[in-house]
Amino acid sequence: MKNRCPAIFLVVSSVVVLVVVVYADVKKGYYHPAELGSVRQAAPGELSPDSNYQVSAYLVPGTDLVPGDGSQEVGIYCNACHSTSYITMQPPLPAATWEAEVNKMKGTFGAAIPDDSTKKIILYLQAHYTTENRKP
Amino acid sequence: MSVAERSLSRRDLFRTLGVATGGITLGRWLGPRAVMGQEPVPAKAIETFTGPGANSHWNSVGPYVAEPQKVPLILLTDRPIQLETPRHYFRTTFTPNEAFYVRWHLPGIPNAVDLEAWKLRIEGSVNKPLALGLPELIQKFTPVSLAAVNQCSGNSRSRMQPRVPGGQWGNGAMGNAVWTGVRLRELLDMAGVKRGALQVQFQGLDTGPGPSGLGSNLFLKSIELGNPILDECVVAYLMNGEPLPMLNGFPVRLVVPGYFATYWIKCLTWIRVLNTPDDNFWMKVGYRVPDTPRGDTTPEDVKAGKVKTVPIERLPVRSFLISPDGASKIPVGMSIKLRGIAFSGFGRVNRVDVSDDAGNTWHAAELGEDLGAYSFRTWELSWVPRSPGLHTLAVRATDERGNKQLDEPVWNAGGYLWNKIERQEIVVGNAS
Repeated sequence: MKNRCPAIFLVVSSVVVLVVVVYADVKKGYYHPAELGSVRQAAPGELSPDSNYQVSAYLVPGTDLVPGDGSQEVGIYCNACHSTSYITMQPPLPAATWEAEVNKMKGTFGAAIPDDSTKKIILYLQAHYTTENRKP
Repeated sequence: MSVAERSLSRRDLFRTLGVATGGITLGRWLGPRAVMGQEPVPAKAIETFTGPGANSHWNSVGPYVAEPQKVPLILLTDRPIQLETPRHYFRTTFTPNEAFYVRWHLPGIPNAVDLEAWKLRIEGSVNKPLALGLPELIQKFTPVSLAAVNQCSGNSRSRMQPRVPGGQWGNGAMGNAVWTGVRLRELLDMAGVKRGALQVQFQGLDTGPGPSGLGSNLFLKSIELGNPILDECVVAYLMNGEPLPMLNGFPVRLVVPGYFATYWIKCLTWIRVLNTPDDNFWMKVGYRVPDTPRGDTTPEDVKAGKVKTVPIERLPVRSFLISPDGASKIPVGMSIKLRGIAFSGFGRVNRVDVSDDAGNTWHAAELGEDLGAYSFRTWELSWVPRSPGLHTLAVRATDERGNKQLDEPVWNAGGYLWNKIERQEIVVGNAS
């Protein structure tokens, strides 16, 4: 009889500790693989024995551009030939390099960007993607 | 109650406890806790971009993405698609097709090819233009196979200082495969190249929305007809014994052994013999390197307009440590294997040296099987770290022509031809 009290106490306290431990493990994030970029497997495609060799559509994950004046023009004109991941992939670049890049798209590659939009795009890139102002 | 009884009942208590908590809880506070060390540190995602300094990682820093026929690879850009092969896929001599890197220049790339309609055309300045379907390529010609490295001109561009715009590749824009197909020379001979022709131009199925005649509309590459490399080129319909993944150029791809991948046209459909030099963007402006040793120059000389350029051609000698990759500590005194690959576009690699003192002393590694002048060659070397702390491993290859990797960086405006000696920091831990 004497021994039962500490027994109950120990059982109860150990259950409490167990709950705390499990909760702590959950808090560590072990159960949130999505945060570490888990990718769902694609289902196998259906194949027919004809002469057409087809794969599913290529993915377009989308890119987070810094919001700001000019981002809309970037979305319209830059996106016509390439996704904006071409911008976010770059290291921070000098302002003059961004200007040269946009001018290359127009002059060398024939991108049909109106002059006022060209200016806006250059200013936008220079405002968010240079060594001085690019944010992680 | 005797002392013995007391301790017995206490033992019963602990037994109850052990059952109630699955034995785990106690374990954390008793012996094993000390052995297992401290609480794990939560994993952190890698940065989303690198710079203005050099990218310090072996690969680029993009997320993993699984495109059709591919395992998750590192995404540089999604349209046009550029995917980099993670480091661990280079443990083997041949890079698996599903892990092979991907680089397209134009957004309009095929999702499907109908082999009933598809024909490889040999046209232009030839006596008899040809249009050959895949069955003809397979049956009418004796197949040839060769192992060859395909490396993007801009592989390791993210190492350059100052950084240059372009695909910010780490080291994974390369791969090695056995390519099987038809000799290009046989196709040219069958069509009959007319006298006075200058170059042969290659075009795939990819297109862009840009105006006709510009680099944003078509991706075209040409090789001089007098260039002996044409005798070594293969129009490949098999890659490592399997059809090519769509993203690597199904149904056929041009293989230009020893040359950078810019010439290895994917979904090759037009072989065009030209009478005049090809002056399209991808020959005249793009993929050109300074006409200097190693293609090296400076931003100042580029600005001053002093740099004469030539089209990029062969792969400079390179070597890589693939494992260990520095992600794990190595216990001091343990003999481990250093493993890696080496290649050169100028001749077979016949020597790989490894340094464990940041390049002061070098030790010859054991080379793997020789699979031809243009293949990856594996190497390995046993290494016993003698002291705890930070160790810097370096690896340097030499090819049969005597080309040896240097420790000086390379810089050019295109971000091409990087082949500086690679280093890997390894943390060696105490073992007692």
